[in-house]
Amino acid sequence: MAAVAESLSFLGLTPSARDPATAVRRRNRGPRNRKKGWKRWAGPEARLGREIGDFLEDVTLQQRVAGGLIAEQPDAGLFFVDTGNAEKGRKRKNKIREKPLHIDLVLQPDSKVPPPKDILSYQIPNGKKERRRRQFWERLAQRGVLPRAERRLQTRLQNAAGRVDPGRSFYDIWADDNPLERALVGQDSWFLQQTQKQRVKRPPRLQQKPSQLPAVEVIAPGGSYNPTFEDHQALLLKAHEVEVMKKRAEDKVERQLRFPTAAEAPTAETVFREQCEGLLEESEGEEEEEEEQKEEAVGGAQPSDPPRPPLRPGKKTEQQRRKEKEARAQELRRRQEKAWRCRQQQLFRLRSLGRQLRRWEQELLRRRRAREAKRREMEGRPRRLGRIKYEDPALEVQLSDELAESLRTLKPEGSVLHDRFKSLQKRSLIEPRERAKFKRKYRLKYVEKRAFREVTL
Amino acid sequence: MGGLEKKKYQRGSATNYITRNKARKKLQLSLPDFRRLCILKGIYPHEPRHKKKVNKGSTAARTFYLLKDIKFLLHEPIVNKFREYKIFVRKLRKAYGKSEWGTAERLKDNKPTYKLDHIVKERYPTFVDALRDLDDALSMCFLFSTFPRTGKCHVQTIQLCRRLAVEFLNYVIASRSLRKVFLSIKGIYYQAEVLGQPITWITPYAFAHDHPTDVDYRVMATFTEFYTTLLGFVNFRLYHSLNLHYPPKIDGQAEVEVKPAEGKEYAMDSESYLEKHKKLFEGLRFFLNREVPREPLAFVIRCFGGQVSWDKSLCIGATYDVSDPSITHQIVDRPRVEQQVVGRYYLQPQWVFDSVNAKLCLPVADYFPGVLLPPHLSPFVTEQEGDYIPPEKLKLLAMQRGEDPGEETEEEEEEEEEEEEDDNDKDEEEEEEDESEKEEEIKLKKMEEQKAQSNKALPVKVTAGKVRLEDKQRLEQEQQSEEKRLAIMMMKKREKYLYKKIMFGKKRKIREANKLAAKRKAHDTALKEEKKKTKKARRA
Repeated sequence: MAAVAESLSFLGLTPSARDPATAVRRRNRGPRNRKKGWKRWAGPEARLGREIGDFLEDVTLQQRVAGGLIAEQPDAGLFFVDTGNAEKGRKRKNKIREKPLHIDLVLQPDSKVPPPKDILSYQIPNGKKERRRRQFWERLAQRGVLPRAERRLQTRLQNAAGRVDPGRSFYDIWADDNPLERALVGQDSWFLQQTQKQRVKRPPRLQQKPSQLPAVEVIAPGGSYNPTFEDHQALLLKAHEVEVMKKRAEDKVERQLRFPTAAEAPTAETVFREQCEGLLEESEGEEEEEEEQKEEAVGGAQPSDPPRPPLRPGKKTEQQRRKEKEARAQELRRRQEKAWRCRQQQLFRLRSLGRQLRRWEQELLRRRRAREAKRREMEGRPRRLGRIKYEDPALEVQLSDELAESLRTLKPEGSVLHDRFKSLQKRSLIEPRERAKFKRKYRLKYVEKRAFREVTL
Repeated sequence: MGGLEKKKYQRGSATNYITRNKARKKLQLSLPDFRRLCILKGIYPHEPRHKKKVNKGSTAARTFYLLKDIKFLLHEPIVNKFREYKIFVRKLRKAYGKSEWGTAERLKDNKPTYKLDHIVKERYPTFVDALRDLDDALSMCFLFSTFPRTGKCHVQTIQLCRRLAVEFLNYVIASRSLRKVFLSIKGIYYQAEVLGQPITWITPYAFAHDHPTDVDYRVMATFTEFYTTLLGFVNFRLYHSLNLHYPPKIDGQAEVEVKPAEGKEYAMDSESYLEKHKKLFEGLRFFLNREVPREPLAFVIRCFGGQVSWDKSLCIGATYDVSDPSITHQIVDRPRVEQQVVGRYYLQPQWVFDSVNAKLCLPVADYFPGVLLPPHLSPFVTEQEGDYIPPEKLKLLAMQRGEDPGEETEEEEEEEEEEEEDDNDKDEEEEEEDESEKEEEIKLKKMEEQKAQSNKALPVKVTAGKVRLEDKQRLEQEQQSEEKRLAIMMMKKREKYLYKKIMFGKKRKIREANKLAAKRKAHDTALKEEKKKTKKARRA
């Protein structure tokens, strides 16, 4: 009775409880379409919702714990009969834990609800359609028809090669029948020329190379990795000479710019002594010196009278004019006679004239030969093309202590790339150029930050 | 004045030349394109004889081209390709700027390209012309094939250069045309003879690489572009001249494929000497150790008929292992070699190169590992008479002639040693000998006098004559020198003067050569003394 009463009270079925079937009306808190009615927690729908929520939570708790509603579980799953077996002190032979750790247990999933099955992972959208499309393209590929993307890829690979294709095909270009000229074989040359199908002939002047130097100049025998003593010395001598020239040029500039120090500066005494050098040579010298001094004194004292300027030119009289005319005629006559006489006399001078001519011709010949020799010599040198002159590359030489003992320890000197580049310049195939410098249009302005300015060390 | 005035700089050399900028504008190309075009076509700037005339009075240093050359350039079809490329770049840049990727892809698919075949044919109308210019082409290709594959130049170019270089080397191996090799500090110089043309090229060492900054890479890349095309065509022709299939399917260092129908034929020279030279290493099997430069050695050995292999882990193409018993020579470069196999020569790599240059297999004793090597002489040096020839070269020449200087040198050395040790004794002996000779002479004289005095009425006796071996060569030489002296006496004064001058020059050369020889002797004696000192130190 008490249990029933308890259960009833637990369930809320007491006599004082109201009938759950009868609707309970709470006091109307005013019309629901007011602002107060906006409070969602107060209405019957909200209440219902909360009750449903509680119910559902209860149901899910039961499912998690017991794998289903507790009311539907069999008795054996919920209850067990406690027989009260006391633990007989089992000796722990192995000190192995029987139970797993608590933290491991806590971390295991303890819900009896199985995780939901992911059906999307079994689904392929348009699976059948894709399969059919794949089979379709396979059938086409067997026949040789490829989809557009593949075709584009193939053409791109073929065209991507361009001019430096490693797989590019060569042919015999010097044979009579080659692909270059196959198209132009039997046709009229005039026609080909007019229709611009034939290429313009290369002028024969371009067959000659600008320089007769060999393309690859082998280094002197002293440049071997294991040279003989003499060859190595010869090469070192050449390098030494180059260095000596450089040093001399430097010294010359230094000498020209050198300003004598206070100790070396010429004083009046040294200047006087320099001027008297050679004059004071014991007894003979003194007399000469005196004479020279006298001459100098005399020369300086003579005044040179300038010629008298002509009087104011007045009008010339008849006499003066006549005289002048006569003088002119006489002068002319004299000159003519002289010329005639010279020409007469030249007859007797034929031989010497001939000799003179011959000498002049020889001189011309000599000059021509000298010019030709100079031209031939200039041809051998690299031409001057442009602003920058060609400079010889530095000699590649290893000093005696840098010479390698074996091929394994050889440290190569110089760079073949640099050598080839210089060789091209030397043969006048390219002009020497220097790297373009970066020129600033406006001067850089440096400003110190105010904070930095205030820092005093 | 009557008639039209002649104005300056309107005719003659002033109108034959054109400056670089004007030429560029005439062709409507940018400067790099213009330079590229000139390099590809082989148009070079000219230096006019009278710069002031051409430059219209000024002496500013300008680059001049011949006007006719530029007019010839106008007909070139690749000029249009350059212009198209410029437009392509502009469009591509726009597409990238507007993020139109589809347009960019489409443009890249249709990138304008050009081929240089017709330029090759135009510049080298015959095959021999192309061979004459092959030096430069080969050197460039070998140089570019050693470049690292960074982005500085197209990786395709480097690959193509490598492939062409290997093909050419294979041709040289198949035709056995290598003649000279020279190891210098800059690189390795080779000389091969192809169809009668000597071709010299330089290969850099594999491990030397520094990028000099004053080299214009674009110019070199343009040259290489042209040269790779040229070399490809030349290779094709060369392979066909040997009846080999081109392009060969080369993987690593494998042999060249031969057409099944015909066998290998190489240019047979009638001289047997040359034949012997080509078969220098025939029958020998070489093995290259890890530390020696594999490619040059393998190439050189194969060129002369030898078989070569290396360690498998180095590179593909190794045919036999180090433990193969049939190996005759092993090339090592270490100071000491442990585990020497009997029946095999262990040599330093210089032996191979020196043998090739000397045209015979040199005695191996000088090239053992750890031995001080003889100097590596340059085969490109031709000595004229009167020049100084180092003793090593003399030895080599003697060996080539067939003498065996090895023993001689040993004997000489022994003799020298003996001499130095027994110097005093010998001097005494010599003195004694001299004295004895003098005594004998005196005795003889006395005897003659006695005889003369005693036998005044000597019956004339015919004594048996002594046979004197006439040295024919010596006689000839004497006759020639007499004739020469007579001719000199008969010369006119002027000619004699010239002759004296020439002889003076020649004698000066000889004097210098003697000076060098004396220097060398001094150096050698110094070395010997050092050696002796070390020997004594070791003994003590």
